[in-house]
Amino acid sequence: MILTSMSTVGITALVPPELIFACGHMPLDVNNHVPSSAEHPVSKLCAWTATWREMLLQKRLQVDSLVVVAGGDCHNALADGQRVALGGIPAHFFFYPFDGDTDYMEAQMQRLVLHLGGEVDKAKFREVGLAKELGMRLEQMRIEGRISGADAFRILISFSDLCGDIPAFMEQLVPEKRHEEAKFRVGLIGVPPIYKDFHEVAESFGMHIAYDELPYEFLRLGGNSMAELAKSYAGYTFARSLGYRLDFLERELARRRVDGVIHYTQFACHHLLEDDVLRRRLDYPVLTVQGDMPGSTPEQVKLRLEAFSEMLGRAP
Amino acid sequence: MIGLDVGSTTAKAAYPEGKFRIVESRNWRELTDGIAPCDIVSTGYFRKSVPHKLAITEITAAAFGAREYFPDAEVIVDIGGQDTKVIDLRNNTFLLNDKCSAGTGAFLEFTAKYLGIQVSELGDLHMRAKKAAQLNSTCGVFAISEMISRMVEGASVEDVVAGMHYSFARRVAKLIPEADRIVLIGGTVKNRGLTAALEEVAGKRFLIPPAPQTVNALGALRYSEERP
Repeated sequence: MILTSMSTVGITALVPPELIFACGHMPLDVNNHVPSSAEHPVSKLCAWTATWREMLLQKRLQVDSLVVVAGGDCHNALADGQRVALGGIPAHFFFYPFDGDTDYMEAQMQRLVLHLGGEVDKAKFREVGLAKELGMRLEQMRIEGRISGADAFRILISFSDLCGDIPAFMEQLVPEKRHEEAKFRVGLIGVPPIYKDFHEVAESFGMHIAYDELPYEFLRLGGNSMAELAKSYAGYTFARSLGYRLDFLERELARRRVDGVIHYTQFACHHLLEDDVLRRRLDYPVLTVQGDMPGSTPEQVKLRLEAFSEMLGRAP
Repeated sequence: MIGLDVGSTTAKAAYPEGKFRIVESRNWRELTDGIAPCDIVSTGYFRKSVPHKLAITEITAAAFGAREYFPDAEVIVDIGGQDTKVIDLRNNTFLLNDKCSAGTGAFLEFTAKYLGIQVSELGDLHMRAKKAAQLNSTCGVFAISEMISRMVEGASVEDVVAGMHYSFARRVAKLIPEADRIVLIGGTVKNRGLTAALEEVAGKRFLIPPAPQTVNALGALRYSEERP
């Protein structure tokens, strides 16, 4: 199916929003609706994908088409995306190159453009780029501890779809809360927590989240031409080899001067298998937490965060 | 000042004169008679639900408490009612298993209830076993099904209890890092059948303090003394 008129295009993970806007459509990151969802999917592995699957199939989330990121990132999305497609919602499957091949990336992007109608308004690349430049300034303020991690996360996580409206989104790029001095700086790696208040809970235990791994990818990748976009998005760390991702992580964690690392893992997500490797390689105290269903941060996760904060306080 | 550990099953208090008291969690008030909240350092699952001057997690309390008995401890394994915590004191890290009851005291209670015996009898039954029944399941609920199967096949209660302890031990042993001085704490550790199975599966001897279930209460007390 080829989209013609202006449509809402659901995305299941990072899909260059530049392309969706440039083709005249509105991206909608279905994941952004999961943490506050009350869905209880009957058949599930990962609650992230199962929840958006149910929301789409039950029409509680309306999209005209769904772009499923199936290669190199979320494996559960491949199955749940197909179930959505079988339920009658047009779906396009988008694959990242594991080896960073920019030709492959550009070919995937061209296929996506065809699905989106084939007409590209390159001025939109620049518009999204300007929003990301502004986002980068806010990210720098977070690194310097001038805005809270919760505030930064709220802004960064929305860079996957820019809320479907670039000018309106840019007007929202204002930090809400004044940052209070935290005892420790931590990096949050892995998929984003499925809990809607995770950053606030971490802050309540004296931890400033100075890095959100995946949302930062949403912000840092981009470009002003198809070739630039292909080169940039081919470096999407979550779709690349673990070694590539670890090299990147080490640089970011050092740049942000973190005292410790929280590795968030999602029940039934293949990224959980990477935990041992990450713990061995990263030269920081690492707390691994595992989440399952969306909602508020449960007590057993709060206990781990509190104990981690106490532990950082005991570190030599 | 006292250290008060209110856990999922029992509440423990450590008093400055070196005494300890243990009651069921719902009766925790008996431990604080005449003691002002400003003289209580709490820990355990209900640490924030009881009056306290300071509340610390069980992980920190365990680190301070175990040190009292074994100053050169490297790893602490705290087998509690609802979870199992493994604390590596060498690099200040910890792991918790609480998604599943199979490696926790709740699993032992579940088993004892099914067999119609007291949890306190499990250790002696284990020691009388002739051949531990083979239980392969890592899930507590499926393990009960397997126990039924083994008993239908003719295994004795003693053999089934021993098999259950080995199943439990295999699950906990996977969480324990390589170390020489490993301390076992928590009420479950009083079960000598379980500790024997754990030592056999892990292939090493563990250090067990005299009152393993009160270590966290003592740790809370020591924490308050070191960081008044």
